[in-house]
Amino acid sequence: MPVLTTHNLSIAYQENATPIIADVNLSLDAGSFNLLIGPSGSGKSTLLKALAGLYPEFGGFINGAIKLEDHNINDLSIIERVKKVALLFQNPNQQFAMSTPFDELVFTLENLQTPPDDIKARAMAALEFVDIANFKDQNIQTLSGGEAQKVALAICLAMDSDIILLDEPFASVDPIARLELLQKLKQLQQAGRTIIISDHDLAGYADIISSMYTIDGQHLIEVTDTTSYFAKFSAKPANYQPVSGQSVFEINQLSLKTSGRTLLQPISLPIAKEKFTLITGPNGVGKSTFFTALTRLKAYDGQISYLGTDIQTIKLPKYVREVALVFQQAEQQYLKMTVMEEIELSLKHALHPDLWTPAKIDSTLAQLNMAALKEHVIYQLSGGQKKKLQILLMLIIGTPVLLFDEPLAGLDLVSVDNIFTLLIATASAQHQTILMISHQLNGITQYFDHHLIFDNQTLTYEVH
Amino acid sequence: MQATKQSSGWHLRDVIMLTLIAIFFGFIFWVWAFAYDAVAATPLKPFANDITLGAWIMAGPLAGYLLRKAGASFLGEFLAAFAEMIIGSQWGVSTLLSGLIQGIGGELGFALTGYKVWNGLSLVLSTLTSTIVTFGYDLYANGYASYSFGMLVTLFIIRFISIGFFGGVLVAAITKLIDKSGILNR
Amino acid sequence: MNASIKIAVALLISLEISFTKSISLNIALIICAIIYLLFKRVNWKLMLYSILLPILPAFGSWSSLYFYGTGDHVHMAFVLLTRIFAYIWIGSCFTFTTNIDDLLKSLEQNFRLPNTFVYGVLAAFNFLPRIAQEVKTIRLAARMRGEVLHFYSPQIFFKAILTSFNWSNNLAQAMRSHGFAEGKRRTHYHIIKIPKWNWLVAASILIAVQVFLFMSPFH
Repeated sequence: MPVLTTHNLSIAYQENATPIIADVNLSLDAGSFNLLIGPSGSGKSTLLKALAGLYPEFGGFINGAIKLEDHNINDLSIIERVKKVALLFQNPNQQFAMSTPFDELVFTLENLQTPPDDIKARAMAALEFVDIANFKDQNIQTLSGGEAQKVALAICLAMDSDIILLDEPFASVDPIARLELLQKLKQLQQAGRTIIISDHDLAGYADIISSMYTIDGQHLIEVTDTTSYFAKFSAKPANYQPVSGQSVFEINQLSLKTSGRTLLQPISLPIAKEKFTLITGPNGVGKSTFFTALTRLKAYDGQISYLGTDIQTIKLPKYVREVALVFQQAEQQYLKMTVMEEIELSLKHALHPDLWTPAKIDSTLAQLNMAALKEHVIYQLSGGQKKKLQILLMLIIGTPVLLFDEPLAGLDLVSVDNIFTLLIATASAQHQTILMISHQLNGITQYFDHHLIFDNQTLTYEVH
Repeated sequence: MQATKQSSGWHLRDVIMLTLIAIFFGFIFWVWAFAYDAVAATPLKPFANDITLGAWIMAGPLAGYLLRKAGASFLGEFLAAFAEMIIGSQWGVSTLLSGLIQGIGGELGFALTGYKVWNGLSLVLSTLTSTIVTFGYDLYANGYASYSFGMLVTLFIIRFISIGFFGGVLVAAITKLIDKSGILNR
Repeated sequence: MNASIKIAVALLISLEISFTKSISLNIALIICAIIYLLFKRVNWKLMLYSILLPILPAFGSWSSLYFYGTGDHVHMAFVLLTRIFAYIWIGSCFTFTTNIDDLLKSLEQNFRLPNTFVYGVLAAFNFLPRIAQEVKTIRLAARMRGEVLHFYSPQIFFKAILTSFNWSNNLAQAMRSHGFAEGKRRTHYHIIKIPKWNWLVAASILIAVQVFLFMSPFH
């Protein structure tokens, strides 16, 4: 008997609105490993949240039925439900109510009315399975993305859920932690659990999945010819150069700490002017903190010079006109209401206004597939559209240095290509230096001149 | 609107949201407490309390408007005071007492409409009841009774203007942004 | 001492001194609070903070009444001065010796506060360090767009509300997925009991305050 079935399942955000996903008829066998692939904003999260029983309570309208074995999901109490199906969320730091991993497990087990005497043993067993027992009492907010997702997986184990749903769990997890997590999932599947995982990146799945699904338009389709899908994700060769010529930043004995932990030992190095530099490294290593130092958002030790001047001696209002950061969360950078209002605000402060004629704006919006969205309220855009708009807004301002913190998380390959085409043309016209932190490297490495690796508390240039 | 549909009872999401907003406001006004001190260090001292008071009561009307249910305004204000005390307020436990009084003051305005009207009128009423209730409390508790009548009238007017600006004008501007953005519907 | 009882006593005393005009009671309370904090070996830096923090507001209230008041305003000025210090030190007896987890869990187990409030507030408070950073980030992000946000700009509040809205949505869904059900029975790993002596001590403190007030010279 299938462990999870849906009958003509349709999900909409509003009553009587066009559904995001329509007529889904799924039937999943116990112990299967299912991959759900698809572009950003195609409705993968929506489908998984529906399968976890979060709608209609949390905003979606559902038609059709979801059955767990032979129970209708709505007939089960919350406790019965989570014992059958658990959901692991995309944003690792916004899925815990308590301050430490151990307390979160205790909270969960208390919710399930576990006898107090059994709680400790069950919590520890779950933490040990995912190899994080040694930081069970550390503050969750200080864990890296990968560590946080291991805690989330430990919770699914402690709940003893038959089905584990994972919604883009690796969006902020580095490649090594990602492989470790995938291995744990494989072990769980072999022990009889059913896995459904959504991802936009296919790396590491080829040998472990039993079925693959994708969303096309409103419909869920099973992919039979998986080989051609996997072929699209092969990396293009990179050509990283050593740094020579003029530098935009001179970093001198810079060291970084966060809540007492050393992230970077004193280091000195240049950042090349008007070049593209890629920064990679395991999660939680301190890449974002490095950017907060370059933008003066947080304190650091040592010295950073911008074009020969210590950045601490430059007045902030002047400095932000030179070095700007494209924040990880697009909404953090918005100030107005509609797409066009935002663009106009950026034009007001543009450093190369002659480049951004109305015709140029129109053609750029078309290039980003957003021509029809000019009057749309920005908060109603999809995640991918928000990101594209944010990048455009920062490019229009045209600061000499532009830092990007994980701009590609959750974007599909087409969007990534569109963004890079725009980025390369604009950066060259405005003589901009680009620094980018990214985990997702598929199809982008060929655009970078230099590659800076952040690992083991140091920064090193890779050349090949 | 999601929040209006589940009008009765308190949901986990509402409680988390109100508390988060309260903590956010606590931090934004962290700076404001020092603004109070700056005014208090000039000959304008007696007016410092009344000039800055409006800022402290913002959380209440906003919460009322966001959740649109009985008790939301009171709870929003009380949680903001609780957050402020935990963050480390210069007023100690009395922050909680003020939170209670200000919460009651703001809530009364919405209660007067029977929790049926959620517009400019309910905001104006809420600022008015806030002014009256907090002023009455200060009259008994904070030595305001020792001021002359003329001084009291001046302080009352200043307080009403302060509460009117922060709890009325600014809150109305914020709620307008919220409505336009449509975030409550998504 | 149990966190709920401690905060209740602190609140009741604060409420009482906001309506009484006894300088000696205020001073006595401050002394008792200091002795308690010393006995609890509270970090001296926190103690110093408690001394420095109320100086400006206390002086402000004192001078307002002293210079602008009528009637027995000189006495009232000193009442207010000592009262503000008493508020702070009584508050410190709670905030420096207990944490919010203890308080909320005691309210859940001993006073039947609905679990929606207990865990909603607790979950939000765990975001406290991130909120301070988020306010800074919102302001810098705006600066990078060429705009300066002030504490009276509607945008900064709107952004704060937007973030609260998103975070609360994510958190509530996650907690629900961790089996949390509003108003449902839960088991407790740590069972909190209030020993009888807690009630006795609380009652004694409150009675002592009344007796002191009755005999105090400035009554």
